[in-house]
Amino acid sequence: MMLARPWLPDALLRPPAVLLLPFADWLNAFSDYLQNDLQLTIFTRAIADVVQFILDVVNNFLLGGRKGLGLPAVPWLTVAALAGLLGYFLGGTRLALLSGGTFTYLALFGQWKLAMQTLALVFVSAPAAVLIGLLLGIAAQRKRWLEVSIAPLLNIAQSLPHFSYLLPVVIFFGVGHHAGAIATIIFATPPMIRMTLLGLKRIQPEIIEAGRTSGCSPRQRLWLVEVPSARQEIMVGINQVIMQCLAMVVIASFIGAPGLGYKLLLLLQSLRIGDAIEIGVSIVLIAIMLDRLTLAWAYRVPEYHGDERFLVRHKYLLGAIALAAVSIAIAALEPYFYFIPRREGLSTGFLWDPIVDWITLNLFDPLQVFRHFVALYILIPVRDLYQWAPFSAVMLLYTGLGWCIGGRTCALLIFSFLGFIALSGWWDRAMITAYMITVAVSVCIVLGLTLGIWASRSPSRAKRALLLCDTFQTFPSFIYLIPVIMLFQVNDLSAIAAVTIYAMIPAVRYTIEGLRNVPVPLQEAVTSAGANRLQRLVQLELPLALPHIMVGINQTVMFSLFMVVIAAFIGTQDLGQEMMRALSFNDLGKGLVLGFCVAFLGLTIDQLVSHWERRRKRELGLAE
Amino acid sequence: MLSKTIKTFTALVAMSALGATGAFAQESDDPIIIPTHNWNSQIVMSHVVGKLLERAGYNVEYTPTDSQAVYESVRLGDVTLELEVWEGAFGQSFNAALKKGGIVDVGDHNAVTREDWWYPAYMEELCPGLPDWQALNRCASQFATPETSPKGRFLAGPVDWLKHDQERVDALGMDFIVVNAGSASALWAELESASKRRAPIVLFNWTPNFIEAVYEGKFIEFPEYGKGCKDDPAWGPNKEETHDCGNPANGYLKKAAWDGMEAKWPGAYRILEKLSFTNPQIAKMAALVDVDELEPEEAADVWLDENEQVWKSWLQ
Amino acid sequence: MDGKTSGVIRCESLWKIYGPDPGGIFRKHDGAPSDEALKESGHIAAVNNISLEISRGEMLVVMGLSGSGKSTLVRCLSRLVESTAGRVEMDGQDLFALDEKELIELWRHKMGMVFQHFALLPHKTVLENVAFPLQMQGITPDVRRAKALEMIELVGLSGRENYFPRELSGGQQQRVGIARSLAVDPGIWFLDEPFSALDPLIRREMQDEFLRLQEMLKKSIVFITHDFDEALRLADRIAILYHGKVEQIGTPEEIVMNPATDYVARFTSEVPRARVLTVGSFVVAGEGDGVEPVAKDTPIASILRRIVLSPDARIPVVEDNGRHLGVIDRNALLDALFG
Repeated sequence: MMLARPWLPDALLRPPAVLLLPFADWLNAFSDYLQNDLQLTIFTRAIADVVQFILDVVNNFLLGGRKGLGLPAVPWLTVAALAGLLGYFLGGTRLALLSGGTFTYLALFGQWKLAMQTLALVFVSAPAAVLIGLLLGIAAQRKRWLEVSIAPLLNIAQSLPHFSYLLPVVIFFGVGHHAGAIATIIFATPPMIRMTLLGLKRIQPEIIEAGRTSGCSPRQRLWLVEVPSARQEIMVGINQVIMQCLAMVVIASFIGAPGLGYKLLLLLQSLRIGDAIEIGVSIVLIAIMLDRLTLAWAYRVPEYHGDERFLVRHKYLLGAIALAAVSIAIAALEPYFYFIPRREGLSTGFLWDPIVDWITLNLFDPLQVFRHFVALYILIPVRDLYQWAPFSAVMLLYTGLGWCIGGRTCALLIFSFLGFIALSGWWDRAMITAYMITVAVSVCIVLGLTLGIWASRSPSRAKRALLLCDTFQTFPSFIYLIPVIMLFQVNDLSAIAAVTIYAMIPAVRYTIEGLRNVPVPLQEAVTSAGANRLQRLVQLELPLALPHIMVGINQTVMFSLFMVVIAAFIGTQDLGQEMMRALSFNDLGKGLVLGFCVAFLGLTIDQLVSHWERRRKRELGLAE
Repeated sequence: MLSKTIKTFTALVAMSALGATGAFAQESDDPIIIPTHNWNSQIVMSHVVGKLLERAGYNVEYTPTDSQAVYESVRLGDVTLELEVWEGAFGQSFNAALKKGGIVDVGDHNAVTREDWWYPAYMEELCPGLPDWQALNRCASQFATPETSPKGRFLAGPVDWLKHDQERVDALGMDFIVVNAGSASALWAELESASKRRAPIVLFNWTPNFIEAVYEGKFIEFPEYGKGCKDDPAWGPNKEETHDCGNPANGYLKKAAWDGMEAKWPGAYRILEKLSFTNPQIAKMAALVDVDELEPEEAADVWLDENEQVWKSWLQ
Repeated sequence: MDGKTSGVIRCESLWKIYGPDPGGIFRKHDGAPSDEALKESGHIAAVNNISLEISRGEMLVVMGLSGSGKSTLVRCLSRLVESTAGRVEMDGQDLFALDEKELIELWRHKMGMVFQHFALLPHKTVLENVAFPLQMQGITPDVRRAKALEMIELVGLSGRENYFPRELSGGQQQRVGIARSLAVDPGIWFLDEPFSALDPLIRREMQDEFLRLQEMLKKSIVFITHDFDEALRLADRIAILYHGKVEQIGTPEEIVMNPATDYVARFTSEVPRARVLTVGSFVVAGEGDGVEPVAKDTPIASILRRIVLSPDARIPVVEDNGRHLGVIDRNALLDALFG
């Protein structure tokens, strides 16, 4: 069909106008109906009030003030000390240093207030998301119909760009701290549902039978047997929720959440990159701290203390009370340990600005040649190809691929995903997105695999590389945008570069994991057969790790779709840019339709890759 | 929350019992919610006004809000007022919201706004004849990049700012290609990078803006804006096309409010009507944050201390 | 022994069919679907028309290979799984007529169950695991602690009350499982392959332990296993299951001596008979020649030495109460062992 392009009727080149369906109008009409006829807003605004009240209480606890309970704030020294103790309790000295150190950093760098606003958001959103996710997960495990209907919704929800959630939230819940919290809750709940469901399904049937034969009522069985037995998965779910919450920190500020994210955008707006990086570091520290704390909690094995003396048994509680008392006393004597205003805080901003300057001054010109080459010989041709390809041919190609790899259902799904995009009228924009993703993901695969293979060659290197992955994953991606523009100017290359930096993370991570998890007996077998390192890598490790690496590449596609929307802040012509526009003009329907287009692009690739990966794992006997 | 609901409810009952005369309208204890956007002059101004309202006895809250989406929020009463309605940037959203109802025009600031093509001062050496637009057009090739070559590249604001740059390029027959940045940050990042290297750049800018305090530069002088330029082809140098002119050099900067504000906080509404800032005052607010690196709240305190004679009369 | 006439557990024509429409296929064939009919319609009868009775204090071992339906059977008997058709009575009470509340009450007071993979709650200590069924009954902590400690002592785990399951070996974990199942002093005890997951030495030890317990407790037991040797060691009676049907049910001796089908015979052929057969099976009339008499329940293995070493001795056989029965028929016995 590609070759026959000149003879194809127009209707097969571009989706014909008569076929386009006004999805956006339908969604808007539906939203109006919910707002005006059902008066749903009365209900949603009541929820908003409740969330705001809880936020006020948490905020009050962390920062003091009139609202909430009207209590004075807890001194930063106390928070840092207690966090350190908690870290020690859960994971020993290293974790104590991480958690105590994070809060000390936040205080010393004068970011206490911002960080506490952000933490208040996390402390409200995360438990809410966990609770909702847990209950929905339980319900889905109980009711088959719910599980069946919730699965595709979760898939879509997890591939919708963050920004798609914002407009509906603004319309139904308003703007402000609470709106940020609600958007975060909506965004963070799906992984919790998934992990709860997975955990409950993985419980040995015998354990449940043991509960029944022990005489549990259904409720006792759920809360005393099933939920505790699914503890590990549930804890991993909680961990994912917290990570999602932190991923939303910057984006939630678009609809009124104060805190680190909002400040970050402001600083970028006035080009104070150094200060912005400091904020970014705060977000990373908070994320890694919460991540490590929850993981330590998840894998903590219970210990028995019932027969110890009171003082020993309650040593942590007593220690916490003592620490709190001492630190409050110190803070009362010396205000520096109570609260450090921004102006008295440390700053490394002055360090960063010269670095950024040096990079722009010295790297811009050498990169000029590269930039020209890439733009003229790679980007523009690929872009033109994607624009030139008849939509019918593209749909046929992918549907066919789906058929070969995943069978009829897979083909049908892909056909309807792409069909939606074609009928929504955003085909051309979607192809621009697709072209940027294609280039970015290709670069990610080449660089990510190389880096991943290199890092996997020694355990310590792998560990450090994985930590770096964690750091980059939680570092607010908005910060990359500015240096990238300074080096590459406003164009597609900048956007692709920003996407690449962010989307490479899973490619590296999964390559390392896949290669390091090749079963030891197999490695020994191949080594004893006389293979050298390279032969072992090519003959054994890569083929065996490939399915896992493909999961990583699938994630890379998802990450790049998230990031391509954010790259709209550089300036692009794709779906992301249109989504920003929809957001600006309160066009809920258009925003959602664009979100679906992005999600469906991702799900198309997801269908292909995950079917292939599952089949391949089965063939290799690696499936569970 | 419950108490708040009850309070609102009793206030409503009281108001309806007293009739619509408003003669006995009570000042509400509910917080007046002031939206803050993503540029510092606006945030400082919001805190200046917020602090004034607090001195007048009101509760005030700030909430970060998108500068376009805010009009919907004002209309619904989620935020109470809006202090910076730029004619060029937000006139359209504002007018659309006016048409839908729920929002009122509370008058103009003294300040005028201008949004147009702009270049850093060093460009005058590279391209003699600036700021005239025809001189700019003669240097177009200096601004070329691989994507736009041989034409020049104009870095415009985000598409959703609706500046009609492409129409102007077409109408005036300029050798430029319009490239839209995705955000204000993207504009400044390019400006920063280019001016470090003294590389040619012409981009979208506006006043009042902190950029004036950091970089020297000028607006390009296009054929002067006049009524009819944007919708009457016969107007201006090109008789067949619209948009053959620059943007208004004296755009308005308005205040807007939720239409329930006057009934709920009548005193505050009076203050909002009276207050008005000038260009230098706004520029100073921005500079306190962008140049002196104060926090917005601190900047607002400094500004209030230094300008007591300005705001005193507003509170009476 | 009135227990022989009124079983503690009785099941009649019990069916459990898996497949798209179990109830439908069952009714369509008037409650007796043939194997072919089931197969054609894509159904499998895991329990195929089984009727059984377990008397008070009796241990029935249900033996079958994997897929024979033995686990399903025990779950139907305990109503962990809803049967397709049939009837189960427990102390004369119709089990299928109970509503959920009554069923929970029944579980709380009458039944105990032990599982193949122990099924201990990983987040609870040994003590808490054993006390768990008592906790479900709402018994106060002090009482249930005392009762649980007693059970822990009974299974020989004293001193490990505060360990967590992961800190115990497999054998010890199953002792916890046993203690838990006995905590409510159930009348009926179900054991679903309790020792299969243990290694052979431990398994043997646990079997001895189990026999000791049963000697003391005299529970009515349904014991599931795939290990014929285990069945022979433990059982009062054995039911051999094949494709959901009972191939044969009887005492170990009956089964070894008279396998009802070829399938059963395949198990029994390898069995060391001397361990299964008792002296009582080889008695002929006559008087002993003054040597020490043996009880009729004695396994042959334990007197084989005497028989082989003194070929001419006429060994008297007596009943439990000492009444003389006859003497051992040496030739028949040797034929049975080696013939």
